[in-house]
Amino acid sequence: MSTATHTAPPSRLKEFVTNQQFILFLVLLAMIAVFTAFNRIFFSVGVAGNILADWGPLVLVALAETFVIVSGGIDLSVGSVCTLSGVVGAFAMRSLTEGGMAPYLTLVIGALVCIAVGCVAGILNAVMINYAKLVPFIATLVTLGAAAGLALVFTGGGPIAGGPSEAIQLSVPWLGPISTPIIIVFVICFICWAFLHKSRFGRYTFALGSNPFATRAAGISVYRQTAKIYILSGALAGAAGMFYYLRLGSGAPSSGLGLELYAIAAVVIGGASLSGGVGRISGTILGALILTTVTSGLIIVGVDPNWKQVVVAVLIAVAVTIQVFRKSEGKAS
Amino acid sequence: MFGISNMKRSTAGLIAVAGATTLLLAACSSSDSETTDSATSATGACQGKTIAFVMGAVADPFFNAMKVGAQEEATAQGATLVWQGDKEYSPATQIPVLDQVLATNPAGLVLIPTDPTALQAGNDKAIAAGIPVVNVDTRVGDISKTVAFITGDNTDGGSKAADAIATAIGYEDGKSYKVVVGLTSKTATTNVARLEGFEAALKANYPGIKVVDVAYSESNSAKANTNVNNWLTKYPDLNGIFAIDGTNGTGAAAALQAKGLTGKVALVGYDAYPDNVKLIKDGVFTALIAQDPGAEAKLAIQDICTTIGGGTVTEREVVIPNVVLDANTTEADLKKYTYVA
Repeated sequence: MSTATHTAPPSRLKEFVTNQQFILFLVLLAMIAVFTAFNRIFFSVGVAGNILADWGPLVLVALAETFVIVSGGIDLSVGSVCTLSGVVGAFAMRSLTEGGMAPYLTLVIGALVCIAVGCVAGILNAVMINYAKLVPFIATLVTLGAAAGLALVFTGGGPIAGGPSEAIQLSVPWLGPISTPIIIVFVICFICWAFLHKSRFGRYTFALGSNPFATRAAGISVYRQTAKIYILSGALAGAAGMFYYLRLGSGAPSSGLGLELYAIAAVVIGGASLSGGVGRISGTILGALILTTVTSGLIIVGVDPNWKQVVVAVLIAVAVTIQVFRKSEGKAS
Repeated sequence: MFGISNMKRSTAGLIAVAGATTLLLAACSSSDSETTDSATSATGACQGKTIAFVMGAVADPFFNAMKVGAQEEATAQGATLVWQGDKEYSPATQIPVLDQVLATNPAGLVLIPTDPTALQAGNDKAIAAGIPVVNVDTRVGDISKTVAFITGDNTDGGSKAADAIATAIGYEDGKSYKVVVGLTSKTATTNVARLEGFEAALKANYPGIKVVDVAYSESNSAKANTNVNNWLTKYPDLNGIFAIDGTNGTGAAAALQAKGLTGKVALVGYDAYPDNVKLIKDGVFTALIAQDPGAEAKLAIQDICTTIGGGTVTEREVVIPNVVLDANTTEADLKKYTYVA
């Protein structure tokens, strides 16, 4: 039932300095310094706003992935579920707008529809894992294909607009680089942190990832916990779908394409272990922030954006190396 | 409900597998394998024959508009149209689809190669098997053995986009202007030709306009949006954006609206996606360069049927002209050129 990692602390200072979140924070600062050195405009409210706008949907699916990965599973469907939810939500908002509903109420209902679609996908994942006994990788791969396909079938390939025109205006930053949807994402981050690190639900999640057999022996329903985790994951992916809708003013069948891989990258960079039982919400938040900073940085500096994949690969390698290094050091002391 | 017996559990398992299978099938059908039987009384060389159409990406209204044209013509000729393609615009996913289609030995093949080099082998394999091939929209590197190559005039489209941007920003000789270009892929021949046409027109007629940046969206409108958001910050004095296709247009339009730059930064898009056409009226798009994908597909099917009937296609490289849609375009024309959703 252990949380996070546990090195026997030789000194508080050393513990603090080798802390994964602290290292990530330094990496982030270094990146900002380097990008700013290349182009001073990088250090501006405008760029910060762009980074946060990218960070919003990514961190939502990365939070989803954090719960799943800490529990020892994997959810490959988050990107496609995000896309499908955004598209279904867009259809709902279009019909509500045509029916004359007030714009903000329409957006709230649209968000609920997105989250509901995500929950359905989560239930599907849970059923396949719990009852069909598919490993999470396969179960969520099934949902990935199904959701991506359905999004294309429903839309015929094009974006679905026609919802409230207030959508795009809502994603305009008004508090420095921060927009209303970003404030909501902050709140969701806080709730997820409380859920994972301060609640029984979180303790069970860590327990499941550390040792599912001991968890079952302790009288915790592994099925129920697994179901809850995948449904939460789906709901967060649905929320990400709504976020994209607000950004683009339409539900695009391409918006969540490949998002799952960046989400997993954010979680791993954040210090979680794919073998389960280890991970922190703060790490995921920083991991996602680092990834979106790279995206904007490369564009602002004017580097071929294809380099982003290389940079991400290097970041993952470094993050995992630090983990392995700390693990062996922890055992030695 | 979680403590059910083993028997019940296995039943639930079966149901789950069945559900999953259904969804998988749904997913597979999304990569579009629609076979439509058309038993019309039309007579001709194509009567009862199967024509395969391997296109670029299902997530694109441009190809949907093309499908409508292809289906109409196939029905008229009494042929069966097999419309195939993957959800991504990528040679890696298109080649296996093409191989599968060729294994069914169709009477003719219309191919939209997603890469001029990577699809050459598949294109030539079909020809070697005696299947007449027409390239549409994009082409393989060597088209000496294909029946025909039919495309929108992408170079001309790029050049028209340059004119539209110059007009919108009130171009004057001696002044300098900054524009950016949002692309989907570095190698797709349509992207390359449009960019060439755009840059050539700038150089010839508007030397003060400089392309300061380009980026690739990989057919993802969210990525296109990220690119444009960052450009708008990087170049506070940006004058114009050329969004080279529909997905880039969607992303760029959202960025301009969010940053309150509608009408201040000229946006010229490509392809008449229904939602983008609506945004011309709102002043978000300065102009849209529209193609006629339905006409391209119809001609491709006709050429295949001519070849099957033993005839010779004389016009081997056909260019279907573009139309510029802007605030001055009549309602009827807007409707006519908007791609079907």
